[in-house]
Amino acid sequence: MDGEPLVRWHWIGDHLGYLRDLALDHAVISLVPVLIALLAAVPLGLLCARLPRLYQPLAAVFNVVYALPAIAVFVVLIPYTGLATRATVMVPLTCYALAVLLPATVDGLRAVPEDVRQAATALGYGPWHRLAAVELPASVPYLVAGVRVAAVSSISLAAVGALVGRGGLGYLFVDGFQRTFPTPIVAGIALVVLLALATDLLLVLARRLLAPWASGGAR
Amino acid sequence: MNWLGWLTTFFTAPARQSGPDAIAHRIAEHLVFCGEALLWAVVLAVPLGVLIGYTGRGAFVVTALTGAARALPTLGLVTLAVLLAGVGDTAVLVPLVALAAPPLLVAAAEGVRGTDPVVRDAALGIGLTHRQVLARVCLPAAAPVLLAGLRTATVQTIATATVAAYVGLGGLGRYVVDGLATKDYPATVGGALLVVLLAVAAQLLFAPLIRRASPPQARLTRRTRTRRTKEPR
Amino acid sequence: MITFEGAAKRHPDGTVAVEGLDLDGPAGRITVLVGPSGCGKTTLLRMVNRMVEPTSGRVLLNGEDVASLPAARLRRGIGYVIQQAGLFPHRRVLDNVATVPRLLGQDRRTARARAAELLELVGLPPETARRYPFQLSGGQQQRVGVARALAADPPVLLMDEPFSAVDPVVRAGLQEELLRLQSELNKTVLFVTHDIEEAVRLGDQVVVLREHGRIAQCADPHTLLTAPANNDVAAFLGRDRGLRGLGLRPASTVGLLPTGTELHGWRLAVDANGRPEGWERGGERRPAPVFAPAADSLRSALDAAVLSPAGAAVAVDGTGRATGLATRAAVLAALGPSVEEPAAERPATEPTAGEPAGGR
Repeated sequence: MDGEPLVRWHWIGDHLGYLRDLALDHAVISLVPVLIALLAAVPLGLLCARLPRLYQPLAAVFNVVYALPAIAVFVVLIPYTGLATRATVMVPLTCYALAVLLPATVDGLRAVPEDVRQAATALGYGPWHRLAAVELPASVPYLVAGVRVAAVSSISLAAVGALVGRGGLGYLFVDGFQRTFPTPIVAGIALVVLLALATDLLLVLARRLLAPWASGGAR
Repeated sequence: MNWLGWLTTFFTAPARQSGPDAIAHRIAEHLVFCGEALLWAVVLAVPLGVLIGYTGRGAFVVTALTGAARALPTLGLVTLAVLLAGVGDTAVLVPLVALAAPPLLVAAAEGVRGTDPVVRDAALGIGLTHRQVLARVCLPAAAPVLLAGLRTATVQTIATATVAAYVGLGGLGRYVVDGLATKDYPATVGGALLVVLLAVAAQLLFAPLIRRASPPQARLTRRTRTRRTKEPR
Repeated sequence: MITFEGAAKRHPDGTVAVEGLDLDGPAGRITVLVGPSGCGKTTLLRMVNRMVEPTSGRVLLNGEDVASLPAARLRRGIGYVIQQAGLFPHRRVLDNVATVPRLLGQDRRTARARAAELLELVGLPPETARRYPFQLSGGQQQRVGVARALAADPPVLLMDEPFSAVDPVVRAGLQEELLRLQSELNKTVLFVTHDIEEAVRLGDQVVVLREHGRIAQCADPHTLLTAPANNDVAAFLGRDRGLRGLGLRPASTVGLLPTGTELHGWRLAVDANGRPEGWERGGERRPAPVFAPAADSLRSALDAAVLSPAGAAVAVDGTGRATGLATRAAVLAALGPSVEEPAAERPATEPTAGEPAGGR
């Protein structure tokens, strides 16, 4: 690496289109799983909020899933989803996101103050109606907080997929390392962090829009 | 697609029984390296976190660090470190410590900050010095949160160390990375399985520790919610 | 009318919340259930809208067993106000109030129009409508809670310690507001509180409960204060119940002296419009406490008389003009023949068997 600067700006200038394509691919493989997980977590969370007996074992399972190193899971999936396919990376990322979002949903529903719950019942909401019309909307700040954690983690994790051939921006790390050329690595780190920050910002805005009543952080 | 076949091949190969590529040796490598990284992370992050939590100053540092650390790509840091500092375990140690420290810092800060202020005031009121309050009141109360942070950091380090095999680090990641490179699928899967087992074992090992560190009423009501501070991979 | 017929609640673990209660809450009146914590008053209240199902006995609304209606539909016809207000954090104030009309199938526009009327009724400025609950003070939230409970114009209103989480000044305002509302709306109200002061102030009928929902006494506030059924009730009412009883009696019965009367050397000075300016003796002038016989209670009259240097309160009419002087003796005379006292003269110091109700 002697004499090689940390960043060769002209390389970045020459490869803008390439970097954009990688960033887009990265966004898809990391954020679509979060979306899928969210669509699964909400109904599952509502069910778990009504049936705590279901939640206990599910939470235990997801707690373990959450601890599994991504690289190991990617590798184990290869025989089923193929090398260098999107699915190999996206299936585990969906599971990780779900492991964050399910507890976030359930915690959010549980965090609805008891007096609000009581009032809703007394005003004549049935149990399911109350869950959907009062408790779920009231727990949106928690849910968004969960999505923020899941999305940022997913974006950073997806890069590891480069080791099994599909890592979006992660490819820049492999490429830079093999050529002993730090510029792509630095660009990759910067883009991953930027993508994460931009997503996070969008989610904060989404919360302002969806839950203007939650002043400041998650209530 | 024959799991039994792959695993049998992997576990019975002579190279796995002795020598540098032996399973026991790789596990030991993995554990030693992770332990070293964790030790550094604890030494660096915990005192700072305790200080932030006790004084209430610099809380924004904690918020910023959690966010940033969660966004940083492991593989990027590891490859960059090796390119900049040259191949070798020390170079890899830096990103590992960097990724393990934030959850510990956050846990220490939040754990200490979360001590019941009434109890803290009472302790000062009956004549304890700040140092004594910290040692006898805050730290015991923060222990469960701190342990949960250590669990997160441990699982995170085990995962990062696996990825670091890509830049030449020893340990269980060697099986996975070398297996992928040489299309030796039994080695890849076997290595992955061992990594998973190690991570789950670490995760489970902490459960009784955290429970024991929790105050009695929390143990009774089983409401020790351990917070997720950082991706554990 | 709300009727409890042997209503009882036993928990599965064998503990008894309410042993079995018979009680009528008359239509159009405020019935207050008051008692120490753990006396089952909230349990009783919640039996009415079936948030608690009695394990035996029943609760009737206008002669109809509440258990015969589907719970959700029953509840939409009963207003319910709780201590924390329980406003939905994610809905604006207007939509919080419109909740039950919407549940009953009204279109959004009608329901909101109704909600706006109600906000006005409970004394909230129109701009409150667009706020979220977290932007309101505790007292305002409680008003919204009352408005929400009234939105579908339910004949029955259940109130569970609705004002106990706000500070005393705000509480007094809310209590006054409730009495004003009630004089317009004539709801059948069941009101739970642990504060005897509040019970006496609001209730047409006050039910003092002991543990397990046993009735210690059920009476109008005046009777309760002047003739407690036993030592326990007297202790629960507190020491100065006699004085507080004066607060329930009008001052209009006090005999007045002419405003020119000299008392202990003091003379009342009045301005050109006849309004009192103060008491004068020699070159000295002191303020003259007043009361309005038409609006105030005997307690206010006595208070003014005690504070006056001349030993007499100045009676004023609606315009503030002095109409006469009420001496301390005259105020006391207005009490009429002395009321019958129960056996215990010093309930607070006399140890009694059973619960130490006054201490709670």
